[in-house]
Amino acid sequence: MSAVTHDIPEEAGRESFWRRNLHFFLLAPGVAWMVLFLIVPLVMMVYVSFWTQTTFAINSTLTTKSWAAFFGSETYYGALIRTLRLWLTVLVLTFLAGYPTALFIGRFVRNKTLQTVLLVTCVIPFWTSFLIRVLAWRPMLGKEGAINIVLEKLGLISGPIEVLLFTELSVIIGMVQIYVVFMVGPIAFMLARIDDSLIEAARDLGATPLTIFRKIIFPLSLPGVVVGAIFVSVMVLGEFATASALSGRKVNLLGNIIVTQVGSLKWAFAAVAGVVLTAVMAVVITGLLRLVNLQREL
Amino acid sequence: MHHLVGLRWLLGLYTALFIAFLYGPFAVMAILSFQQGPEGGPQFPIREWSTFWYQHVMGLAPPSRIAPLPIAEALTRSLSLAFATMVVSTVLGTLTAQAFRTRFKGSGVVFYLVVLGMMVPGVLLGLGMALVADQLGIDRSWWGTAFVLHVVYTYPFAFLVMLAIFNRFDRSVEEAAWSLGVPPARTFRKVTFPMIFPGVLSAMLFALTLSYDEFPRTLFTAGSDVTMPIAIYGTFAVEIHPNLFAFGILTTLFSFAVLTVYGILMGLSTRRARARFSDMQEDIA
Repeated sequence: MSAVTHDIPEEAGRESFWRRNLHFFLLAPGVAWMVLFLIVPLVMMVYVSFWTQTTFAINSTLTTKSWAAFFGSETYYGALIRTLRLWLTVLVLTFLAGYPTALFIGRFVRNKTLQTVLLVTCVIPFWTSFLIRVLAWRPMLGKEGAINIVLEKLGLISGPIEVLLFTELSVIIGMVQIYVVFMVGPIAFMLARIDDSLIEAARDLGATPLTIFRKIIFPLSLPGVVVGAIFVSVMVLGEFATASALSGRKVNLLGNIIVTQVGSLKWAFAAVAGVVLTAVMAVVITGLLRLVNLQREL
Repeated sequence: MHHLVGLRWLLGLYTALFIAFLYGPFAVMAILSFQQGPEGGPQFPIREWSTFWYQHVMGLAPPSRIAPLPIAEALTRSLSLAFATMVVSTVLGTLTAQAFRTRFKGSGVVFYLVVLGMMVPGVLLGLGMALVADQLGIDRSWWGTAFVLHVVYTYPFAFLVMLAIFNRFDRSVEEAAWSLGVPPARTFRKVTFPMIFPGVLSAMLFALTLSYDEFPRTLFTAGSDVTMPIAIYGTFAVEIHPNLFAFGILTTLFSFAVLTVYGILMGLSTRRARARFSDMQEDIA
């Protein structure tokens, strides 16, 4: 009798230990991976930004020399300003260019299959390598490029437009085309989720289409806008390939500085640029996350 | 409602223009991939239509001053890397999402720790990892330092996809299995997995394509054996030739093949589920 009563609590105890800690075992591999390969490298970058840079190597004597050099130099400080300006421009343009498309797909196309087909159509260009897509803009924008040829054939211009390629404008055009889909997707998703009865109710109560858009549709699509903005910001802020390919290395972003500095083994200096970029990212992302609870939206 | 018809047409027209904007460079690329070679450059006009650059990519063209793309080695590396990344990140993503089905303390911290992986720009992680490897005296390689960063990038996507799947999933079926005494591991294999399979497939697709095309994380961490995107980046500095465009078209066709396989598997999975459901209904009847 005593053996039986003794057995049951132990069995239950083992069971509940397993159950109670199950999530721990499930989480451990992922968390360990992220700490080792995400947090440690980032911490290392911050640490190295205070190391001493000699001509071809770094040593762990702490100094703020690289920091002073970064903010003291017009080139590097200018790159920070340029990165911010380009990011804001691309963000606003992707929103302006993407929202009408998302509105059409999410609210005006009633057929689910057609909705999916349109979204997939937008995503298909992504199946071509990112770098090749960037390079494809060169024959499009160049002096003898497709746009100039078409405009000249139509008689709209007499000579080729030269500002199209190897300028900041070409970088902006390229980035908007590459990243706009990340804006369209989340917004269309949120718009398609809006309950039709809500809009009908508003209409029955006499709201004009503009009021319905301003008071119902736009606020409810806002989480999509924020998620899209996070995607676009993350990608544009870390960019360097589009800038170097479409500006002929004239537009230098923070990412470009990191790449050149690593190329010339200036690790400490690259780390400073990296930390600055991380700080910018952190401010942007937390600012955007303030507007929407990502975990709840899923 | 009828006064919105005009707006509908306007937005429809806009969407058509938008799609043209997305496809413009792609179309130009497709046209220029048929440029005459090896003298024809990556610009208009087309001197003469030819498939020279496709032959060049395949290594069938006669030798010329333009070096062939290192397809054989680089592509094999990229595909192996993408495959390994896909497996590891899908497993990690599923495990973590499974843990999130019960509430636990610190779930917010873990959530953002994982999501951080897709938010930190690749160039920063590449730099950090290169610094760590440098200090520890580890050789940088595509299967080591680059691979772990690829997983850091794709695992959050897999996690979010799986989380979305688990959120709209009827847990009473699992609870029934548990209360009947089926051990958790077996329940997962026999009950949970078949139900989440479409999600797993999407997570795998995400990881595969993201890793295959991943470039800023690989740039500083791959060492001397390059992957395909790094090989393409290498041509940025020198002159570009239409062989890149031909390669782009070929890889797009390959991607379509992968997408088709995904579509077929997805279709089969839903059809089987439907068939099982109607069997059950017949049994009940």
